[in-house]
Amino acid sequence: MEAEVTIVAFQDIFQNEARKKGIYTDEYRQLSAQIILDKQDITRLGVKDGQRISVKNEVGGVVVAAKISDDDPHPGLAFMINSPWFNQLVRDDVCDTSIPGFKRIAARVSPSEENVTQISEILQRMRA
Amino acid sequence: MVVCTGCSLLCEDIELVLKDGTISQAKNLCRKGHAHFQALFIERTRPMIDGREVSLDQAISKAAEILKSAKSPLFYGWSNSTLEAQAAGIDLARRLGATIDDTSSFCQGILMELVLTGKVPTCTLDDVRNFADTSVFWGADPSNSHPRHLSRFAYYPRGEKRQKSYEEERICIAVDVRKSATARLCSNYYFRVPPGQDAEFIESILAVLDGKIPRFGDKKRMIELGTVLRKTEYGVIFPGLGMVYSLQEKMDLLVRLVAKLNEITTFMVLPMVDHYNMRGFNQLLLDETGFINRVSFQGGTTVHGPEQSVMAAAKSCDAALVIGSDPLSALPFGTARALAKTSLIAIDPRRSLTTDAAKVVIPSAMYGLEAGGTSLRLDGVKIEFEPFFKSELLSDEQILAKIKEAI
Ligand code: SF4
Repeated sequence: MEAEVTIVAFQDIFQNEARKKGIYTDEYRQLSAQIILDKQDITRLGVKDGQRISVKNEVGGVVVAAKISDDDPHPGLAFMINSPWFNQLVRDDVCDTSIPGFKRIAARVSPSEENVTQISEILQRMRA
Repeated sequence: MVVCTGCSLLCEDIELVLKDGTISQAKNLCRKGHAHFQALFIERTRPMIDGREVSLDQAISKAAEILKSAKSPLFYGWSNSTLEAQAAGIDLARRLGATIDDTSSFCQGILMELVLTGKVPTCTLDDVRNFADTSVFWGADPSNSHPRHLSRFAYYPRGEKRQKSYEEERICIAVDVRKSATARLCSNYYFRVPPGQDAEFIESILAVLDGKIPRFGDKKRMIELGTVLRKTEYGVIFPGLGMVYSLQEKMDLLVRLVAKLNEITTFMVLPMVDHYNMRGFNQLLLDETGFINRVSFQGGTTVHGPEQSVMAAAKSCDAALVIGSDPLSALPFGTARALAKTSLIAIDPRRSLTTDAAKVVIPSAMYGLEAGGTSLRLDGVKIEFEPFFKSELLSDEQILAKIKEAI
């Protein structure tokens, strides 16, 4: 099962705190590598809270954990905390203002059997 | 008292006791600030060349050698450095004919330019505390980004004209794509705007203020919002990244809205700059060159434009000096990869993806704790700070001076 979503990034104080403890910590990965999905999308994908989700678009892809949104219904709209995981999906060809589209990323989400993407893997991709 | 450089509020009332490699006591420090200070003891950088530890002098010489032989170097970061370091950086960029850009280039730059060039009226945070009865957090979530904003300035404190404060005299409005922590706090005045539709939302407010029927959003609620804005005595709009990314080239709509509101009452704009001295860099570069960011000094001329932005320059440069910033974590994959593949020099107190990918790493002192200087708070007020304790580590401007000397 696959769904198309628009992902919007946001800041989170707990993830920020975890980043200060170290970008290679489990805490930073757990708080960064997640996607908040609407209940309806979660049901449609047939996944549970915490289950691994592949998030892909024409820029790249990551495997992160699903989190059920506690917000008012927002089917088709997903949220990710600003992080290197999210930035794997952000295009760098930009409009006149040269501002990347951090707040509106189109991506496909589907359940995944793969492990959550590690930050060392992200660094390797940058160096490849 | 210590100044916290954890965000652009630059809180000056922090009391700290450090003991045995940890913060044993802290007063007035928020969660973000606590993590920022505690980071003093975690994952500090060491001087490195190609992943091997070297002496500080060797790292500095290598950095000078790379920059000297580079034809089109890029200088990036700056928002987490003091005015003194920024001035040294601009000077070095000019001498080397480098391109210089800061984090505002992909976040609050467009807004900051409006403020610094006087296209929208602005005020200080002290004005907010003393006079503001309506604060509009627009695509901004201070509870997560500037944790003491509401308690020190916008909502809870009793100010000169706002003795009854949040109980009777202050309201906060949140305009956001999601119910953020701040939106939950001001739930009566939370307006959800779908991604990319802030322009339509502004047009609807303008319609309501003109006594017309709004085309976007719940009509009743839009009319209620218009009434609140009309009744405001002293309002402040705090735009965050949500607004910037949504409006982009339609930023003139914000200018129109603020002008309209000021025909009715008083409304100011204060961008929710994240890094503690982004505004300082923008102001310095504006004073020096007439532009707030994205400047190239190549060939002895001053050129400004999208080609000089970090996004473009990362791909065209042959060396990059990154200071106090982690673009490999914060920028889109393509830009991060381009930086990772260039001759990268990272000056940073702490380990990051950028320092891990850098050819040369130069450790620096943490401002506020290990080094002093001057910075501009998000409202432009100059804050001076002394180091909390003496450190052997060099500050950014000392490192830049040594690089300059070596070149
Ligand atoms: S609000 Fe900002 S400056 Fe103040 S203590 Fe928190 S992180 Fe530091």
